[in-house]
Amino acid sequence: MSFTEAMLSSLSRWSGGVKTSIGFVLVAICCLFVADLEISSIDPWAEMWRLADGLFHPSLMQSSLVLEALLSTLAFAFAGVALAVVGGFLLALMFHNAFVRGFCALVRSIHELFWALIFLQFFGLHPLTGLLAIAIPYSGIFARMYAEMLAQVPMLPARTLPSGTGYLNTLLYTRLPLAWPHLVSYTSYRLECGIRSSAILGFVGLPTLGYYLESSFSQGYYSEVAALLMLFYLLIATKKIWLRRWTLPALFLGSPFFLGDGMPIVWGNAWRFISEDIIPAPLRNSEAGGQWESLSKLSQWTSDIMFNQALPGIWNTLVLSQIALVVTGLCALIMFPLISRYCYSLPGRMPGYVLLVIARSTPEYLLAYILLQLLGPSMLPAVIALAIHNGALIGYLSGRHSNELVLRSDLPKRRLDRYFYELLPRIYPSFLSFMLYRWEVIMRETAILGILGIHTLGFFVDSAIQEIRFDVALVLILTAALLNIAVDMFSRRIQRYI
Amino acid sequence: MSSLAIQDAYLTYGNHRVLGPVTLDVRAGEHLILLGKSGCGKSTLLNHLYTENRQDCALIPQDLGLVENLSVYHNVYMGRLQRYSALRNCLNFIYPAVARIAEVTPLLEQLGLDEKCFSAVAELSGGQQQRVAVARALYQAAPVLLADEPVSALDGPEADRVMALLGQYFATAVISLHDVDRALRYGQRIIAIQNGELVLDESAHRLTVSSLNEFY
Amino acid sequence: MFKMMFRVLALMILAGSAFATPTFVFTAIPDQDETQLKQRFQKVADYLQQELQTEVRFIPVKSYAATITAFRNNQVQLAWFGGLSGVKARELVPGSRAVAQGVEDPEFKSYFIAHQSTGLSAADRLPQSIDGLTFTFGSKGSTSGRLMPEYHLREQFGQSPDELFKRVGFSGNHSRTIALVESGAYQLGALNYKVWDAAVEAGKVDTAKVKVIWETPTYPDYQWTLRGDLDAAYGEGFTDRVEQALLKMNDPELLSSFPRQGFIPASNSDFEPVRKVAKQIGLLD
Repeated sequence: MSFTEAMLSSLSRWSGGVKTSIGFVLVAICCLFVADLEISSIDPWAEMWRLADGLFHPSLMQSSLVLEALLSTLAFAFAGVALAVVGGFLLALMFHNAFVRGFCALVRSIHELFWALIFLQFFGLHPLTGLLAIAIPYSGIFARMYAEMLAQVPMLPARTLPSGTGYLNTLLYTRLPLAWPHLVSYTSYRLECGIRSSAILGFVGLPTLGYYLESSFSQGYYSEVAALLMLFYLLIATKKIWLRRWTLPALFLGSPFFLGDGMPIVWGNAWRFISEDIIPAPLRNSEAGGQWESLSKLSQWTSDIMFNQALPGIWNTLVLSQIALVVTGLCALIMFPLISRYCYSLPGRMPGYVLLVIARSTPEYLLAYILLQLLGPSMLPAVIALAIHNGALIGYLSGRHSNELVLRSDLPKRRLDRYFYELLPRIYPSFLSFMLYRWEVIMRETAILGILGIHTLGFFVDSAIQEIRFDVALVLILTAALLNIAVDMFSRRIQRYI
Repeated sequence: MSSLAIQDAYLTYGNHRVLGPVTLDVRAGEHLILLGKSGCGKSTLLNHLYTENRQDCALIPQDLGLVENLSVYHNVYMGRLQRYSALRNCLNFIYPAVARIAEVTPLLEQLGLDEKCFSAVAELSGGQQQRVAVARALYQAAPVLLADEPVSALDGPEADRVMALLGQYFATAVISLHDVDRALRYGQRIIAIQNGELVLDESAHRLTVSSLNEFY
Repeated sequence: MFKMMFRVLALMILAGSAFATPTFVFTAIPDQDETQLKQRFQKVADYLQQELQTEVRFIPVKSYAATITAFRNNQVQLAWFGGLSGVKARELVPGSRAVAQGVEDPEFKSYFIAHQSTGLSAADRLPQSIDGLTFTFGSKGSTSGRLMPEYHLREQFGQSPDELFKRVGFSGNHSRTIALVESGAYQLGALNYKVWDAAVEAGKVDTAKVKVIWETPTYPDYQWTLRGDLDAAYGEGFTDRVEQALLKMNDPELLSSFPRQGFIPASNSDFEPVRKVAKQIGLLD
């Protein structure tokens, strides 16, 4: 039997999960050939030295401002997530409706930062901007996950209820309590994501930690950056301590009071945004000229956006995210044993926990910028930044899952044996499904890495907004959303296949 | 007068035909016991009866169908959810109504669960959980009881007490059991199932333990 | 349920309280040291409050576009714009006027800087050899970090930056342009000459590694722009009072916030060159 035949016959024996993984790796390898991954930096060390020096000498210049920022980071996260929980739950109840499903897919496929940029036009610098920028995409995410969880509860308790019990009663007394533990644990995980999102919204001007982080970082005040980051890590790492059942009401009720007051909303602006700003330019200025003329202008306008921005944007986004996805997977598989109780004793796991908290809480944007200094502009910094951030997150989830496993007591002595024979085969299916969920997220996150000179869709969206061309921005945002929806559908199909 | 009836029905479990054709009349006022090996189709028959006559029946399924992270009280209260408005139920969910507690407590006392009224069901033993499911059916006070092995996790005297209670609260009942002796003591009519058919349908007083043992 | 109502209520109160007092609000483009933006401009706010006898507030924003949007949305009534952002803002808000500019602003310029490894040195023109190097602008909406450098690149080479260079980036702001070119991440960059001079003076730049290779001809840049509908909202003559207050600002401490020697009158037509260039490049419809 020749080697190829042997390969082919073993291919048919592999499980769907392994085949899927191999498929992804092959696609990523193909992408490597067309991706721009050049290392072109010449002498990064001076700036790196300044950075390292700053990181080891953290200092806070204005602690009162930072405290305020910390509070509003939490406030936006809690208020936004709370709204999203309510909204997402109601949508989850209607999730059997195709329109609702489509709506949820659309709102969650648009990145928080894009929502914030849209609402900045609506409300300006008003708390509602940040609140809705979190609440809307999170509602879409909650709706889907809640609907899945509610659908997976055992049917029997609802069946034993007397006939005529009614939808609401059945929900309240059986489905909801049965799904409750899953709902709570997912919501708590999302709350952590909410804190990250809320911090990052500072990048576009909301008064959260990201505001100061970006300001200090862009000026090269690395001591302040270090202090802010450490505060942020501390906040995430101690979540278990301050996020308790009995602190929740206070946190949720208190949050609206720390959102800040911002500027008054002028409702005319919202109307203008809808009725003027997002109308394609050729239609907006077409008082004169015939219908045909404006139509041909419109088609010109559309094809300009398609060929110069949308298509290159889609291409770069896809190439970048496919490579990043596979590298993310590798990172996660390397990192998860660091926090697994089957690999290290508790003290030995501590550095792993710290590493994972740091890696998953550092905004990709900062990581990418640091790597940009080191490696020069190309897709490489973006790939590594996405892989570190998402790899740590999936590594954390997989590690937590491995700790829930109950393994036989006569485990192989060597760690490597344990890893390959006991842990990896067991966690691989759930690892794969985390990855498939993350695929869409990674694609969305390539959005904010436009600074690297990579022309992803996000780069063009940002350009359009900087040029006050909201019609173009909206077309591109919707393009990105459709791309995400397509990926999401594809990933779910793969998940079923596995 | 017939209370529940099946006419020439084929019953399936998943894609498997389990029973059929089945013709069965359950007359009002009689306690009917189903006997047969596990997997013979007792549960399928009970489920079918329940699906067809949900209006009049209280169900104790083999897997109990309890909501384990709710309290015993709430699980029992579920037997009467249909009697109150959604708002009342909602309030009761958060703050149990005193009047309802007063209704539930005597039932729990009879079942030896009164001290567990506000414990989560998940914290109870298997036998206690089974009694919670019984209490829910009792509280529901439907005309007909459909019970699938309702005393399988209880010891002898306890099982007898529960069977007596069920007999006392429900005029009409279809109960599957695996204990032949108990079947003869509490049933008025015995049906045995074998190889997908109802092979025996007899008044209990005409049967003996030994004549029934062949079905096990 | 109650939590929801509570939150909505709280939001309404917050929104309502902001409506109650007609505060005069201004902002500035975040062109340099954003960490200091609030401190720097708070002093200006205090000054204006004293001069105008009305409550004045400064709002910091994160991007050039956000400055324009806030002005357009009437959430700020006065703004310290760059050349391009000012032109865009006035185009979007009919009746708004450029009222004052810094003494230096009519003759502003950009520097092109290069990493020493390129071997380039200062000259009268950009050398042909920059073809195929990597290049970074500052912010996408900046006049001195984007518009004018791009204009001159197109003028001299007849190509768009994307065609001319191997890679084109947007660092986000002037200080980062310096850092990126100094580290060699990009070989070339273009930025506001004042930011460069200040950084060199403060010793933040290693001039052995990065140096200026060309300075653009001068063009008009920063200016104060006022909305046209102020008198109706703040009382007759308010526009004039604001204008006067800006022009007679002479406290060195205040002026150092910008940093400018002083302010001189300006008009919309002063920025006509910027508008033309922006239109030519396609940054303005």
